[in-house]
Amino acid sequence: MKDMYILAIESSCDETSCAIVKNGSVDISTVILSQIDIHTNFGGVVPEIASRQHLKNITMVIEECLNKAKMTMDEIDAIAVTYGPGLIGSLLVGVEAAKMLSSIYNKPLIPVHHIAGHIYANNLNKRMEFPLIALVVSGGHTELIYMKDEYTFEKIGGTLDDAVGESYDKVARVIGVGYPGGPILDKMAKVGIHEYNLPIPLNDESYNFSFSGLKSAVINLAHNYEQKGIKINKDNLAKSFQDVVVEVITKKTLKALKDKNVKRLIIAGGVAANSGIREGLKKICEENAIECSYPDLKYCTDNATMIGAAGYYAYKKGIVADSTLNAVSSTNLT
Amino acid sequence: MTILYLDTSSSFLYTAIKKDDEIIAEIKEKLDNNLSKFALSRIEGMFKIKNISYDEIDKIIVVNGPGSFTGIRIGLTIAKTLAWAKKISIVTISSLEAMALSADSSHNYIVPAIDARRNFLYASIYDNKNKSFIMNEKYISIDTLNVALGNLYGDVVFITNDKLDINYDIEPYDPKIDVLIDKFKDREAINPHSIDANYLKLTEAEEKKLKED
Repeated sequence: MKDMYILAIESSCDETSCAIVKNGSVDISTVILSQIDIHTNFGGVVPEIASRQHLKNITMVIEECLNKAKMTMDEIDAIAVTYGPGLIGSLLVGVEAAKMLSSIYNKPLIPVHHIAGHIYANNLNKRMEFPLIALVVSGGHTELIYMKDEYTFEKIGGTLDDAVGESYDKVARVIGVGYPGGPILDKMAKVGIHEYNLPIPLNDESYNFSFSGLKSAVINLAHNYEQKGIKINKDNLAKSFQDVVVEVITKKTLKALKDKNVKRLIIAGGVAANSGIREGLKKICEENAIECSYPDLKYCTDNATMIGAAGYYAYKKGIVADSTLNAVSSTNLT
Repeated sequence: MTILYLDTSSSFLYTAIKKDDEIIAEIKEKLDNNLSKFALSRIEGMFKIKNISYDEIDKIIVVNGPGSFTGIRIGLTIAKTLAWAKKISIVTISSLEAMALSADSSHNYIVPAIDARRNFLYASIYDNKNKSFIMNEKYISIDTLNVALGNLYGDVVFITNDKLDINYDIEPYDPKIDVLIDKFKDREAINPHSIDANYLKLTEAEEKKLKED
């Protein structure tokens, strides 16, 4: 079969990204323009600022991606784009640009679910094999997805409130260590010891998660110590918090793998870069003879490469859209 | 010369193609929250029906605000992507200027106005006799604008498609795209990568931060 080159666009949050991906697995070129420096001033992503930045940068990012690949639009076979979920104003910039390119060059337009993209980031290392369980953990998502086959998704569990990355950011803010909270707390946890007692949230038999209670427990603990005039050891609090997060995530993931009798786990999303969570999952996989994989660090956070990878398999399943494609802020992966 | 006009800065889609001296296709349609779904599809349809390809466009005139933030971004993304991909010369124009220049009224002063919520407007004041703006476009409270208008001698008309709580005559906005194209087609072109919105207003997060600093 002839090689297929997909130009992919991702703009669901605070990264404007464009990539060209060959046959759903080879990264030909990737450009990611991160806005993190801008949003850091506000302690988190400001949706309207993110949308404004996407508009400013979108064509430059696409052009740089083509230049980097030494390719022209005529050599592209299809356009893939994240249509949701995400920040609606941000998504719209990517979607309108993708629709316009598809219309100008008369190329198929492939709508890709952001989570499908995170999962298929794993396909950029090594062909994914099925069935598998995908754990998607990021600033906006915490989901367990069962994939029986190529590009089929069954969500079996997810967070009932905050996403895991969101809870890291909130806890980091409460204890005053900065933004983004994930990498900072992860680093602190490495030198801390598990000193503080925190409850394991939603410690039940479901595949669901809840992190807002845990966040409140950390806030209450910090307040109590403050009132008593006792100084909190922030490293130890980070370690205590991370241990609880890792415990509940590994427990539920293992349960899903066992119940579905699946021997493959893939980890996806920005929080897959968290060393505590990675190590915890690796350990349960080793103990239970489960094959565990996660994307290269550069494909863990938002990027268009993963959208190009997922888009290839979406297209093979006949998933295409026309110029009435709309962005959606929340949508289930099916 | 073939020119594409595009304005999605309100709940309406205003678009047209002018070929030489004639508007050969025009759409004025209230799309409300469906702009993102239908704007490009309508534009595409307009090209198809008139059997015109994107390659034939020599110039794009696009409205870059003020108005609906999301609406502005939809039109600008479409326009800058097309201009960049097909190397088409592109210029931006102000929604309020387009409104003032489309007015039919013989009133002395024309006030193009867009609801910016919380008793604020995006507005300017156009002197209809001298054909010039005496107040440049602003994010302004209705109270402040009323004071400014109270100091003027002569009658005032608002051009708007929004429901505004004001005590002046109101003329609904219906763009004279033909006139606007002629007026702005020779404006100096901008590099498509530099095309950006004219929001007239910082984001709330930035305003809050400015107050704190």
